[in-house]
Amino acid sequence: MELLLQTLLNGVLMAGVYALVATGLALSLGVVGIVNFAHGEFLMVGAFLSYLLFASRGVDPLLSLGLAFLAAFLVGALTYYGLIRPVLKAPELNQMLLTFGLSILLQNLALLLFGADTRVVAPPYQGAAFHLGPFFVGAVPLGAFLLSLALLLALHAFLTRAPLGLAMRAVAQNRLAPGLLGIEAEGVYLLAFGLSAALAGVAGVMLSVMLYASPTVGFLFNLKAFAVVALAGLGNLKGVIPAALALALAEALVSTYVPGGGGLVEAVFFLVLFLALTLRAWRQA
Amino acid sequence: MKGIKWALLLGLVGMAWAQTQVKVGVLLPLSGASSVAGKAALNGIQLAVDEANRGGRVRLELAVADDGTDPAKAVPALTKLLTVDRVDIVIGGLASGVTFALSGPVKQYGPLFLCVGAASSVVEQAFEGYPLFFHYHPWDYHNVAAALTFFQYLAQTHEARKVAVLYEDGPFGSSGIRTYRAELEKLGYQVQAEPYKTGSGQFTPILTRFRAFAPDILYWIGYDVDALPIAAQTRQVGLRPKLIYGAPPSWPLGFEKNPLSEDVVGMTAWLPSLRNAESRRFLEAYRREYGEVTEEYFAPMGYVVAKSLALALERAGSADKAKVAEALAGLRMNTPFGPLAFKPSDTGKTRYQGFGPEIWFQFQYLEGARRPVFPKDKASRPLRYPGSYYLR
Amino acid sequence: MRRNLLLLFPFLFALLPLLPLGVWRAFFLDAGLFVLLYTALALSWDLVARTGQLSLAHGAFFGLGAYGAGLLVPHLGTLPGLVLGSLLAGLGALALGSVTLRLHGLYFAIASLAFSEVLRTLALKLPFTGGPIGLPVPPPFGGGSPWAAYYLALAVFLLAVALSLWAERSPFRLAQAACRQSEGVARVLGVEVVRVKLLSLLLGSLVAGLSGGVYAMKALFLNPYEAFSLGRAVEALVIPIFGGLYTTLGPLLGGVVLVGLEQALRLWIREGYLVVYGGLLVLAILFLPRGLLGLVGGRRG
Repeated sequence: MELLLQTLLNGVLMAGVYALVATGLALSLGVVGIVNFAHGEFLMVGAFLSYLLFASRGVDPLLSLGLAFLAAFLVGALTYYGLIRPVLKAPELNQMLLTFGLSILLQNLALLLFGADTRVVAPPYQGAAFHLGPFFVGAVPLGAFLLSLALLLALHAFLTRAPLGLAMRAVAQNRLAPGLLGIEAEGVYLLAFGLSAALAGVAGVMLSVMLYASPTVGFLFNLKAFAVVALAGLGNLKGVIPAALALALAEALVSTYVPGGGGLVEAVFFLVLFLALTLRAWRQA
Repeated sequence: MKGIKWALLLGLVGMAWAQTQVKVGVLLPLSGASSVAGKAALNGIQLAVDEANRGGRVRLELAVADDGTDPAKAVPALTKLLTVDRVDIVIGGLASGVTFALSGPVKQYGPLFLCVGAASSVVEQAFEGYPLFFHYHPWDYHNVAAALTFFQYLAQTHEARKVAVLYEDGPFGSSGIRTYRAELEKLGYQVQAEPYKTGSGQFTPILTRFRAFAPDILYWIGYDVDALPIAAQTRQVGLRPKLIYGAPPSWPLGFEKNPLSEDVVGMTAWLPSLRNAESRRFLEAYRREYGEVTEEYFAPMGYVVAKSLALALERAGSADKAKVAEALAGLRMNTPFGPLAFKPSDTGKTRYQGFGPEIWFQFQYLEGARRPVFPKDKASRPLRYPGSYYLR
Repeated sequence: MRRNLLLLFPFLFALLPLLPLGVWRAFFLDAGLFVLLYTALALSWDLVARTGQLSLAHGAFFGLGAYGAGLLVPHLGTLPGLVLGSLLAGLGALALGSVTLRLHGLYFAIASLAFSEVLRTLALKLPFTGGPIGLPVPPPFGGGSPWAAYYLALAVFLLAVALSLWAERSPFRLAQAACRQSEGVARVLGVEVVRVKLLSLLLGSLVAGLSGGVYAMKALFLNPYEAFSLGRAVEALVIPIFGGLYTTLGPLLGGVVLVGLEQALRLWIREGYLVVYGGLLVLAILFLPRGLLGLVGGRRG
């Protein structure tokens, strides 16, 4: 019983980071309507920023979080303005190719500038854990989970209360009408894309502490984020958290209870996704 | 009559003074997954070549190509080196899968092939019977043997009885696992082994399960990206092994400064702090040429391959690949790793195997630096067992 | 102009071994082999995309063909092994296709990706596939002829071009386009949507499987992570988008240019060539929205 609860706890904590990365993706997909293959690179920007600040000035990653948010937002906004805006009206596949090319460009630029080595940061709390009775909770995963939760709640408040947030939702629901209603779609797109990048940047800082920083750190998480978004329903922001939970819990349960499960985790992740997608499609018909 | 004798004498002297000139192909992963090791090896090769050229008795010219850690890129690149650049001697082969693919063009064009890396023993199959194949790097079964020697020491001297093995499910982590299990059990260990996906960073479930097993040693076989998550999550989960022992091909940058690395043990073939004379000489030369120190053992490995080639060229006195191979086969040389001499491999499939398990040694992260701890003749500090993570 | 280009490339590739390329011939043949295989893969992707199914499973079909050939060629010989490997890919396609009929656009893409990952894990775990260590594969016809692999790749390429042309020039094109644009309308018009989609996926997977088989016999070694690589699945879709979607000439041009360019860039600009590559892709989309075909002229399917 204890093992089960610990497993569920581990899964829930992991779900927080998945949800954070996936929400960014869902924002750009739902509001701007673009499939952003380079989302993982925004993660990488955050991770590298955290590493560079730590290695050169000893800045604790906690402080880098805010900086990463802003820096990634800026990168996202610039990307939107320079590259995404011209292809907004282009076919979906062209947009995919653009973001894919961007992903290669950014990844290899980082490789060129920093090399392929894996780098780690060393904040003092990295290995700390809390003991709640028989249960162990890592300080960093807990912190990441709480921060993700806070950010997602803030986003929710923004989308339901702030005029800009409501405008974003309007645009997400119908791309033509807001123009008629006088909402400036351009500004909304820019904000949404920038926000999506910013969320990824913050997640990147978390990854740098939990895992490592390298030009390829974004790839695996990006893939999982796509899976979460697909499970939630493309552009469905509310569904992201349950989807992230479902997938993270499946991962944790398989890892713990299936012999040799560590090697099957990815397959299970994708099998669950596959079954969910196909079952949902059959049920809808 | 006398004139002819003098002419002959002058001619012989002239020939001895003549330089042996040769163009050597170098095919290494300068991009893709193995690029860090590939670039280190290239640096080592370039250093040895510059030294040899300065010596004046040979003149080596390098034709360098990137194999991209991908057979689709490596095979055409090697073909180009062999047909367009017309090299007869190739230094290359780092990633095992790519090296296997290279056996195609190698067998077709027949160069002298000096293999820098490729630890997976499947590559022995690919080159079996090929007469001009020189393999310097230890095979994976050598790595396993070296680790088992350490495990034997731990069982005998420190009474370690239980080992939990965490291995990544790709070729690197999985190739030795069956042997490990069998041999560890023979040494009297209880073994629990679990696969994982490298880079996923999620070890908490597996480590939680290991907690019930309460191992003396946590042994993980994976990549540098797994080092920190494993060290951090071992603590977070409350798993307290007496030793955390990792066997990745390299470790992340900055890990030695991370407090979580303290007392973690790893295996490597070379460290800058090694005391042997050849290693010191190499390090000095490297520092002078590149202005920095390297931790990657592929740098001295590349250096050894190129230097041995230069020496063989000198001895053979010609650039003919068969003569050079013969000279190389009989070569004996001191290297940063220890003495080098070629003999058939343990399986007999490789005729010229350079290094074996003897170049591997164990180090421990102590006070922010990696220090050799086993075997005794290479150790600069005693092994700290149990590590501080046990005594919390 | 288009028809000339269309004939030029197969012609050039067929004659490549005989052209007076001097010392560069062997290199061009080796590089050309991979250009042919990846272009065939791209064509097989485009064939499926014409029905609106954005497949990310082409990496899996490639891998199934590769493993099929790798396992069967030692027992059955080169050609039967290749064909059976390709049929294995076809089986996979039918399994995937029948279950995902109601999925569209990105959903289908992600489901096909999930399918690919599950297959890779199977290749990793099943005992007879060589597991994580990998599977050695013999060269074509026992290594007797050094150009055999090239001609096999050429054959696969020509098959891919032929299939793609047939689909483009026959009434099948309209059926595929109807499925892509609106399934409901297509049904009303009498198009058997299920058959069209499954047939396209099957044909595409057979070609992809053949490419995988020939690749395996050239690379001489298979490893689940490389054979079922996501990178290859993405390359299969990058090439047609870059070259010009829903046509034969588009993926053909795109494949030759992109794969050839990558080989060339790597020889010239050693470090950072991928930055240039990524940059080129981005620029291509910004300035050539219809792909390379925008330069060549002509209608898009």
